[in-house]
Amino acid sequence: MIDTDNNSIPKNIDFSIIVPLFNEEESIGPLYEAIKKGIENVDLKHEIIFVDDGSSDKTFEKAKILANDDKNLRVIKFRKNYGQTPAMAAGIDHALGKILVTMDGDLQNDPRDIPQFIQKINEGFDIVVGWRFKRQDKLITRKIPSIIANWLIGKVTRVPIKDNGCSLKAYRSRIIKNVPLYSEMHRFIPAMTSIAGARVAEIKVRHHARKYGESKYGLSRIFKVLSDLISIKMIVSFSSRPIIAFGIGAVISMIFGLISFILALIYSLNFPGQSLVIFLGCSILLFSLSVFLTVSGLLCDLIYKTGNMKLEKLSSLTAVNGFHEKSRNNIKALQYEQQD
Amino acid sequence: MNNKIDLSVIIPLTEKDRHDDVRELYYNYKEGVVETGLSYEIIFVIDGDFPAVFETLQELNKKGEKIKISKLARWFGESTSLTVGFEQARGDIILTLPAYQQMEGSEIPKLLNALRGYDLVIGCRWPRKDNIINRIQSRAFHRIVTLFTGFNFKDLGSGVRVMRRKVIEEVNIYGDQHRFFPLLASRYGFKVGEVDVKQSEKDVFTRVYSAGIYTRRILDLISVFFLIKFTKKPLRFFGLSGSFILAFGTLLSIVLFVQRVFFAVPLADRPIVLLALFLIVLGIQILAIGLVGEIVIFTHAKELKEYTVDEVLN
Repeated sequence: MIDTDNNSIPKNIDFSIIVPLFNEEESIGPLYEAIKKGIENVDLKHEIIFVDDGSSDKTFEKAKILANDDKNLRVIKFRKNYGQTPAMAAGIDHALGKILVTMDGDLQNDPRDIPQFIQKINEGFDIVVGWRFKRQDKLITRKIPSIIANWLIGKVTRVPIKDNGCSLKAYRSRIIKNVPLYSEMHRFIPAMTSIAGARVAEIKVRHHARKYGESKYGLSRIFKVLSDLISIKMIVSFSSRPIIAFGIGAVISMIFGLISFILALIYSLNFPGQSLVIFLGCSILLFSLSVFLTVSGLLCDLIYKTGNMKLEKLSSLTAVNGFHEKSRNNIKALQYEQQD
Repeated sequence: MNNKIDLSVIIPLTEKDRHDDVRELYYNYKEGVVETGLSYEIIFVIDGDFPAVFETLQELNKKGEKIKISKLARWFGESTSLTVGFEQARGDIILTLPAYQQMEGSEIPKLLNALRGYDLVIGCRWPRKDNIINRIQSRAFHRIVTLFTGFNFKDLGSGVRVMRRKVIEEVNIYGDQHRFFPLLASRYGFKVGEVDVKQSEKDVFTRVYSAGIYTRRILDLISVFFLIKFTKKPLRFFGLSGSFILAFGTLLSIVLFVQRVFFAVPLADRPIVLLALFLIVLGIQILAIGLVGEIVIFTHAKELKEYTVDEVLN
């Protein structure tokens, strides 16, 4: 049932909890209870947002029943399955809170950790990332790829977060609402925003083994993560001045083209009468590549200037808080003692 | 005039030599529409300059038939005509019909009934009365579509489609994409179904097109394939193909380099050097295009919503 008095929704919500759900009919009930229990001691106005990512089972029906009794529970239903990142993006777009907490719908994250996240944000961090330091997953198919991926992401983006794949994260709303979220990008949010000056903290969280259902995400993500990593690196390091990156490539291929051309000249002096097709062909190819890269760089520049999503925008948001430093100095991996 | 209408019928007239007698067509379709008992409007979109058709329609209007006529200033193509029709349609259900009779108007109620469980229903001409040439073409076309997109439709070429209002509000088409409208709708998360309708006798003629038209269809198919699979992640498509080519070129270069250095095989007269370098250059170019695409998506990601919401509670 759609709430009839929509106007009664209070605008001053302190935090929103966003949970993407895909075929989680068994866990949705316990999950809801666990969230409620996890935040019962927090004296702040909250809302819970369930995003049904086109489930084929009874997830939405069950969410509907819960939403009937709880006006603070909002449910967004997708028309079909789009994946985890779009589901989170939808939750973020619809959320009203000043702090947004995202978590998995499969009960592997523990909602009892949420108060810590909110506390961290209130301490002045913009993004708080969970670290599943005792991860309860299969070693070969889950843990090892994750370790490699995190190492790689840390190296490439220079934001050494131990666990990018952990869904339990908290964000200052005005920052995350301005980050473009698509594909598998959610795992690069800290990297993207920290380059713009956001302060990132990492805290230890509990992690439980899966009780219900199968893991929905498998090894096929490796290629996706890799290609996303390359593009995020590209975007972050020179999307504001793409002409430079492409320009460097253009100059290099121009140099090789010239070398090949000079070799052709030398060769023709030493062996007169020999065919020069190969040498000259090589240099023509390299020259054309150089032209192509220059044009691509110009094109990128044009696109970036006319588009409305710019990294500068993000940094102006984070600068509001009075900080605007490079991320590397900013990362404080604060670790909490486990309570149990 | 009452603003609430159940059914909007859109008939785009796009090709000069490919429409039937409008009067006959109109009455045939109207009969079927009236049979449904719904309140309706009929919209003709005339794509360009067809004075004869225009006059006939105006004549019908004078006789008291309520036909809405939209005339485009020049030829824009079927997708644009449909979009113009969609903009004017006020009905909750939209029915598009081709300007040449593909099916009998009497099948319209059956189509509308089929919409019950779906958001869009294609009127499939089945069983086909066409000759062997048409059937082979159509079969080949649908095979390719299935191969590229994974969708298995029987009759994409059919202009008979009935859909709910929300479909036209969300799905945009341009170029020659009207043919793939059901694929795009399904990508937006709408339920798309097919129902068999009786093929009209008038639809049975041999279709042989010029090579240009076949080429355009293939290009459209590729663009739709790209739209469906990789809109959000151009680097995934270009990256994979680009790095394959690049890797192959590099491998070849290494082989040649080893031959030259360790086995003293001269390179200056071997065209394969050019091939190796060409593959490297090509690979880099494809990767660069992927990156350009990636920047396009990034800078517009906030405008392009990746998801479609069906319902929001509270």
